[in-house]
Amino acid sequence: MGHIIASLRERSDLFRLLFFAFLAFAVVFDFFAVRHHAHFWGDHIIGFWAFVGLVGCLGMIVIFKGLAKVWLMKGEDFYGN
Amino acid sequence: MVTSGIFVHPAAWFILGAVLLPIARRLKLQKVVLLAIPIIAFAQIRILPDSFGVCHFMGFELVFGSVDKLTMVFLHVFTVMAIIGSVYGLHVEESGQHMAAFLYVAGSLGTTLAGDYLTLFIFWELMAFASTFLVWYRKRKRSIEAGYRYLLIHTAGGLVLLAGIFLRYQHLHDLTFARIPVESAGLAEYLIMIGFMLNAAVPPIHAWLPDAYPEATVTGAVYMCAFTTKTAVYVLARAFPGFEALAIMGAIMTLYGVAYAVIENDARRILAYHIVSQVGYMVCGVGIGTAMAINGACAHAYAHIIYKALLFMGAGAVLEMTGRSKLSELGGLYKLMPMSLIFTVIGGISISGFPLTSGFISKSMIIAAAGEHHRTGLMIMLTLAAVGTFLSVGIKLPYFVWFAKDNPAVPEAKDPPFNMQLGMAIAAFLCIFMGVYPDFLYNMLPFPVHYHPYSAYHLSETFQILGFTGLGFYLMVKKLAPKDKMNLDLDWFYRRGTQVFMWLARRPLSVANDWVGEVYRTVGLRFTTAMARAMSWFDWHGIDHVIDGTAASVVRGGDELRQVQTGRVQHYVGGAVIALFLLLLVMVLI
Repeated sequence: MGHIIASLRERSDLFRLLFFAFLAFAVVFDFFAVRHHAHFWGDHIIGFWAFVGLVGCLGMIVIFKGLAKVWLMKGEDFYGN
Repeated sequence: MVTSGIFVHPAAWFILGAVLLPIARRLKLQKVVLLAIPIIAFAQIRILPDSFGVCHFMGFELVFGSVDKLTMVFLHVFTVMAIIGSVYGLHVEESGQHMAAFLYVAGSLGTTLAGDYLTLFIFWELMAFASTFLVWYRKRKRSIEAGYRYLLIHTAGGLVLLAGIFLRYQHLHDLTFARIPVESAGLAEYLIMIGFMLNAAVPPIHAWLPDAYPEATVTGAVYMCAFTTKTAVYVLARAFPGFEALAIMGAIMTLYGVAYAVIENDARRILAYHIVSQVGYMVCGVGIGTAMAINGACAHAYAHIIYKALLFMGAGAVLEMTGRSKLSELGGLYKLMPMSLIFTVIGGISISGFPLTSGFISKSMIIAAAGEHHRTGLMIMLTLAAVGTFLSVGIKLPYFVWFAKDNPAVPEAKDPPFNMQLGMAIAAFLCIFMGVYPDFLYNMLPFPVHYHPYSAYHLSETFQILGFTGLGFYLMVKKLAPKDKMNLDLDWFYRRGTQVFMWLARRPLSVANDWVGEVYRTVGLRFTTAMARAMSWFDWHGIDHVIDGTAASVVRGGDELRQVQTGRVQHYVGGAVIALFLLLLVMVLI
């Protein structure tokens, strides 16, 4: 099993291509998805959740990592262990 | 079993199992007991009557078994989880660990079945005490300390719960454990709720969870991640559906847990913080309180127990085989531990809510329930937490453990023993089975389900969120590299607090104590002698005068009583029986 994963890993360029193709597909698919149960305004915008996903992810990394850096992160022996 | 009149409470099987384990180990039958008990319990819950084990104790009516559909979902997943946990821990020789685990499961089942607050409280405490041993059995200094903190916090939470129960009994003279209407909730009810919320790890009383779970044994953590918090979700869903505070706290929890999961370094601590986040969905669902939201909370509890256990088993396998759990010390293990990688990734995509996995059909129910209830704010928070979930547990954790480095960080690592892989395989199968066949789960839920997860729009939403979160990770992977540090959390207050207390005890209090001792020796001793002299004068001249009269009458009474005593045993026994009879008569008459 290990060498299968290793050989897949060698084809990382292919996976990168497939990944971007999937992103394009996800946005295109949203044009055709029927909105039966729209809960709020965001549900009517094409690609809204793609935006939430990307901005949310980047925002979280920046905010939480930033908080850790300036405040939360301490040495392993902070409590005297 | 139901008709014969002799009925075994499902929790009693586990208590019996715990007692039998040390003997079974001597007879080399430990593995048989470990597998048989959970399987018997799993089979038995299907034939439970609606109510059983009602008994009267000191004027209280205790109900050991009260069963409805809500109870059944949790009983089902708890017994399934006990089977998975037993299989995963089969290689552990030490009976003590298994005994603690079995008693812990018994506590959880007992709480779930309890029909009154006293029974609930007894099993609630059993759960806390038994699980502490799962931390202590790791036998490291850090674990011992974390275990004590865990026990103290849960004891405090238990006392708050007990105070609530007493107050409620004082008002209502009723201990039945049932739904509490929002408008009738007072101090007593809110104390009970706080007791429950502590076990559900609702911030700010959550820090015990990420403190203790990563310090537990490899197999112990697998049990712990399943039972405490989900039993708390059950009792909240039973007593407090529709409480606004829960909806808001739940939504905050989802993001709070994710925030720490993004920055943490220890694999099992990431997963522990992530329990806070995931339980947030359930607490929020309970708080929204509609039929769909409660269904969602139950479905998510079921799905979550299985995939979170799977993730803990994966991280546990790495810890067991490499002795490490920090991401910064791991990496590149994909060639050496491929099976663990595959199982962990299945857990990771399930928790992230990929289509065809259990997370997709359960988490979305709660988010949709928030939407249908026009709670857009809650809905956005829960969705953002889903983004953070995929980021931290879906991608970050497997990436930094199994990839990130070209050469393995631990060259001698290999996949864990067969039973551990089998435990992971069962959980992985269930994750995918529920995703492909949601009715398996939906048919168990307390209310009829009118929700269809595989709609085009829900799929589209999921593709976009997961895809573009992946893109975010791809762009920022360097920023996410874990650091070998710990992060402050609200346990600071009691961990620093105890240090301040200890300092006070050592320095100022100790000095004050010495000083008071000195004062006492010089002033106090003289004062005491003088007082003693005065008292003795009073005793001679005041008291004895009065007492002498009484003493004479006692002596006379003793003489008379001596003549009653015949010295024959049968007379004494007869007298005792008569006295007992009279006592009973008095009690019955009263």
